[in-house]
Amino acid sequence: MNQTRDLLNVAWTGLMARKVRTLLILLGPIIGVAAMVGAVGLTESAKGALQVQLAQLGTNLIIVQAGGTFGSQNPTLPGDSVQRARHMSTVTGAAATTNISGVVSLPVQGASDYYEAFPVPVRAADDNLPSVLQVPLLDGRWLNRADARLHLHSVVLGNGIAKQYGYLPGEMRTIALNHTNFGVVGVLGPVALDPTLDNAVFTTQWAAKHLLGTGGQPNELYVRADTGTTQATANAIPTAINLGGTDQVSTQVPSDVLAAQAQANKTLQKVALFAGLLVLTVGGLGIANVMSISVIQRSAEIGIRRAVGHSRSKIAAQFLLESLFVGVLGGALGAVIGIAVVYLVSSVEHWVVEIGYAQIPLWMGLALIVSAIAGLYPSIKAARLEPLETLRLG
Amino acid sequence: MRPDDPTDPFLTPVPPVPPVPPFPPTLTVPPVLPVPPLQQPLLELEDVSRVYGQEVEIYALDRVSLKIMPGEFMSIVGPSGSGKSTMLGLLGVLDLPTSGTVRIAGQDVSALDDPDRSRLRGDSIGFVFQQFHLVPHLSALGNVETALLYRGLRPRDRRQRAYDALDRLGLAQRADHRPVQLSGGEQQRVALARAIVTEPLMILADEPTGALDSANAAHVLEIFAGLESPERAVVMVTHDAVVAGTARRQVSMRDGRIVADESRVA
Repeated sequence: MNQTRDLLNVAWTGLMARKVRTLLILLGPIIGVAAMVGAVGLTESAKGALQVQLAQLGTNLIIVQAGGTFGSQNPTLPGDSVQRARHMSTVTGAAATTNISGVVSLPVQGASDYYEAFPVPVRAADDNLPSVLQVPLLDGRWLNRADARLHLHSVVLGNGIAKQYGYLPGEMRTIALNHTNFGVVGVLGPVALDPTLDNAVFTTQWAAKHLLGTGGQPNELYVRADTGTTQATANAIPTAINLGGTDQVSTQVPSDVLAAQAQANKTLQKVALFAGLLVLTVGGLGIANVMSISVIQRSAEIGIRRAVGHSRSKIAAQFLLESLFVGVLGGALGAVIGIAVVYLVSSVEHWVVEIGYAQIPLWMGLALIVSAIAGLYPSIKAARLEPLETLRLG
Repeated sequence: MRPDDPTDPFLTPVPPVPPVPPFPPTLTVPPVLPVPPLQQPLLELEDVSRVYGQEVEIYALDRVSLKIMPGEFMSIVGPSGSGKSTMLGLLGVLDLPTSGTVRIAGQDVSALDDPDRSRLRGDSIGFVFQQFHLVPHLSALGNVETALLYRGLRPRDRRQRAYDALDRLGLAQRADHRPVQLSGGEQQRVALARAIVTEPLMILADEPTGALDSANAAHVLEIFAGLESPERAVVMVTHDAVVAGTARRQVSMRDGRIVADESRVA
């Protein structure tokens, strides 16, 4: 017990006697472990943000689209698709939108040339669309039955189009759709599961039919299913809403795409881990190199220690421990720095910090193993030194 | 047979019953006598040779026999290449003989493994070197403590013993100083403190005054003379006749052999 304490003390004193040298050989394990902790932490945190988003959005949204035959311009779903979908036992909500093509929308006078060249998609939407999408309104209100009944010229802007139009919250804004004026009543929040909605202008089915001249057959259906039945529901919907002609209807679960995105970072993580491992290995070579030189520089010290009765194994243990201290210290400092980097970057990027704390002991252990291997040769070399040769007697 | 015949066994008076010894018996243990000096050699070289080189053999020591008794103050002198350093390595168990036997307190050192030999060296021999050989990153106290490491001592006791040794050599005030902050004489006294802190049976000094000016050298030699005790031997290896002259026994070497072994009466 006392001997072990003596040994730890001797090794620590030896290491601390050469602070700059120690700091330099510490850099290997520090950077190596920091890189590995940072790599995993950053990729997990970036992924973590996606996963949180995914949890908020829900994984049970199904988008139903009219497939149409190849080449048809504007394929549509049956007019009663929403009712048919709602009849399914696993469906908790459904809302339809109708694409209205060829509408020139003008946010301001005199911009007609630009918006004729780049028409903004206009969609007639059901009044329950935001609740099915589970997306809040950034400003104002959504379209409601009063808009249809009172034949109001109301539109809601998608989040992206509102920015493009320079729409300010609460602003009284009139825009023109095919030269008919509409009042902006609200702005829909970002729809992560279907970003095409961000760049759309929404209006009522009534307005679509009577003011913009579109038939009112829906093109897209947004359906929420009971949790756990999403895929089964998605598979059953084409049959349910288009009896006999399944090829006309396609379904997709957009959260699957996001989930796949969350997985895509694994490659980056592996590359960064490999880089960390490389740094650790090179750092290990640095430790071995510096420790070997140190053994030569300290040969007189080794000689005198042997002369006062320290055995070869004690000398070997002393130098091996110095190297192990480098591994432990470097690993711990590296972990702290890695965690700090993850917190820093996450706070800048507004990510949700996710650190694989369970893996950190693994990286630190790796640093320790590398430093142990690195210290092996110098310590054996130190133990083999003949005191008679190092002390230059006589 | 007459009734008063003295040979009559019945008339023989019964001898008195000896008193029953108390139980448990009080044992009279003979007092432990100190080992008489000059009984067993402290260190013994018997027909020792040390050969260097594989193809061409160089006899650094050639069948040397030497006995060092407790309480001796001796010097080993000789020109360069006479085998002094080799002798010192063998006496200090830093090296093993090619042939012959080296015994410390009756123990054949060749029969020991490295840990035991190291322990024997640490326990029995205190080294003083010409170049002091202090560990540069340790304080004077730390250097003296080095000799007490791995002995199961508590750090406090170890520090105290080291401090006492420094104090004995008048260096208590310098305990916290690094070797570079000490003069040559002070460094050699720290080295001396390191040598004596383990209370060794033998102090082995290699040119202890070689790197010192005359005043410091005289001081160190005084200290050496003061280290004499009936149990301990002091051995100085030197080529300096003045230094050698302070010892009572002088062993002269040449070409790996002992050519003279003179004792002078103090």
